[in-house]
Amino acid sequence: MSVVDATLVAGYTVGDFLLLAAAGFTVLAIGMLYRAVKGPTMQDRVLAVNVLGTNTVVILAILSAALSEPTFLDIALVYALLNFLMAIAISKFTVERGGVL
Amino acid sequence: MWWVADTDAGSDPTGGEAGDSGDPESDSPSAPTGGLVVPVEPTPTLRAMVAYAVEAAADNGFSTIHLVEIASWRSGDPDADDRASAAERVLERAEAWANSDLDDFDGERPSVTIATKLIGADEYLFGPDDYVQVLAAYAEEHGADTVLLDPEYTPVGNTTLLQPLEFALSNTSLSVETAPVTRPTRRERLRSEATGKRFVAMFGFSLAFYLVLGDPFYWFDWVTGIATAAIVSITLSRVSIDAEPAIPRTPMRVFRGLIYVPILLFEIVKANVEVARVILDPRLPIEPTMNRMRVIVGSGLPLMTLANSITLTPGTLTVRARDSDLYVHSLIPASRDGLFDGSLERWTRFVYYGRSSARLPTPRERDDCAILQGPDATEELPIAAADGGTSSADGGGSSAAADSAVASGDEKRADRGKREAAEVADE
Amino acid sequence: MDALETARVALVVGFTLLGLFFTFVSMTGVLRLPDVYSRAHTASQADTLGAGFGLAAVALTIGWEAAGVKSVLLLFFIFVTNPTAAHAIARAAFEEGTVPWTEGDERR
Repeated sequence: MSVVDATLVAGYTVGDFLLLAAAGFTVLAIGMLYRAVKGPTMQDRVLAVNVLGTNTVVILAILSAALSEPTFLDIALVYALLNFLMAIAISKFTVERGGVL
Repeated sequence: MWWVADTDAGSDPTGGEAGDSGDPESDSPSAPTGGLVVPVEPTPTLRAMVAYAVEAAADNGFSTIHLVEIASWRSGDPDADDRASAAERVLERAEAWANSDLDDFDGERPSVTIATKLIGADEYLFGPDDYVQVLAAYAEEHGADTVLLDPEYTPVGNTTLLQPLEFALSNTSLSVETAPVTRPTRRERLRSEATGKRFVAMFGFSLAFYLVLGDPFYWFDWVTGIATAAIVSITLSRVSIDAEPAIPRTPMRVFRGLIYVPILLFEIVKANVEVARVILDPRLPIEPTMNRMRVIVGSGLPLMTLANSITLTPGTLTVRARDSDLYVHSLIPASRDGLFDGSLERWTRFVYYGRSSARLPTPRERDDCAILQGPDATEELPIAAADGGTSSADGGGSSAAADSAVASGDEKRADRGKREAAEVADE
Repeated sequence: MDALETARVALVVGFTLLGLFFTFVSMTGVLRLPDVYSRAHTASQADTLGAGFGLAAVALTIGWEAAGVKSVLLLFFIFVTNPTAAHAIARAAFEEGTVPWTEGDERR
């Protein structure tokens, strides 16, 4: 028996708790979305989307643990990679001259 | 010809005051018989360089050839002695070559003195400007007026410095020439031991990474892994690894890095709690300022480690790195003070240079830090919009807002006073 | 359920809650703070302790398997890349001439 199936309280398992936590992370991510939509400058938006992306990676990892789907972790890894590239590429191209990296 | 201008200034091969090799004609920088400064590195073209330098000096009456090696390290680094003695060996060899070339000269031996010197070891050098500064200072001290550059001269890792160096030298009074020497064959570098080590390190690292992601007990993953690791290391081994992996040094760095990780995590947790308290405070008592700090770590990987550690710690954010000057934005005074106490800088030095090099005064004691904004500002903010016209956002808002800001500022200061008193009491 | 298992479950629950808490702080900061530089500070909280505790809980749940090693790798990767991304964003703002907010400025 793995940890996911261990009973926590009143018949609910750790897996259920992790699903709830993933829902919590999603709610927080929606909060960040406000900054991504409103953020007065381009950098604000990029920053918000970057944090959103990190959040998504965590959500994916938690889902992978809760649902016992190890392949979700590979997707999370690729997502983290793309997230990094996105931030670098956009910050490079919003600066007109010089460049960032 | 590039030296013709110097010849008519009266270069007299026989009358040249040869001087001793240590300090020839130091008090007459404009002496007619100028010196020729040759920056030396163990390049494949070094032999040809020396021969060319000797010929040029004999033809045009330079009294002294200064073979200088510019140190890319800083004395006090743990391996500084080894690298200095390696550099001395290179210089000795170059000097021996130059002397034998002089002896073999057709006719009588020209009266050219060879001087060797290792310079620039008392600080880290970043970029071509620093190199040129060191070179120009040396040239002025020894009355040399011409610099002869090796096309293969690359003192810092893989960065080609030649063009930036030529550009930076054009701002000085020295005249510059690039020696017309070419490496024997291009293939030599790929076969050299240096790239081999990098290749092996890169290959092993990428193969290990691939197998962690895949299944190390499945033959197909080994085949694809070896193929991808080969592609990665062929294309990137010279880009990704800029310092030669060495046997006692690299594993030691990894080991000390592993010691650093829990310490960094502890710092992060501490700073996180501090910043969380400020953010959840309904009054939002932040006091953000931009700061400048000059750090004493080498360029490349050490600087990146330090800047990343600073950014990873909430409350401090590296905004720019201009050579060894880091522009760091700090959210609250406490994190700024932590930054100026330089514990991350000391730990970075510990990871890369060992324990003995980690003992150095804090940036505050060295006077290497400055606040660029707010009431305590000591320097201008190096940003275009800051000294030009202020945008409407910087105007200060309505007077009511300004008043409330002042009020909350006073409150905050009182608060900070209390906290400082508490800290003193703790100690 | 033996004591070790109970401790593990307790750690998983605790780490997840801590991760949620620090991500909440980070979200609050991103919404409340006045300019892009100070927002970047608190964004790094979500990157470090939010993701850190979340992924630690995941690694603990999965245990010593290939997937658990992968989640540690993921954490390491986030720790290396996210400050770099934050630095690139802040530097882009700096190069565009965004003056950092100081006391008395309007929030933007």
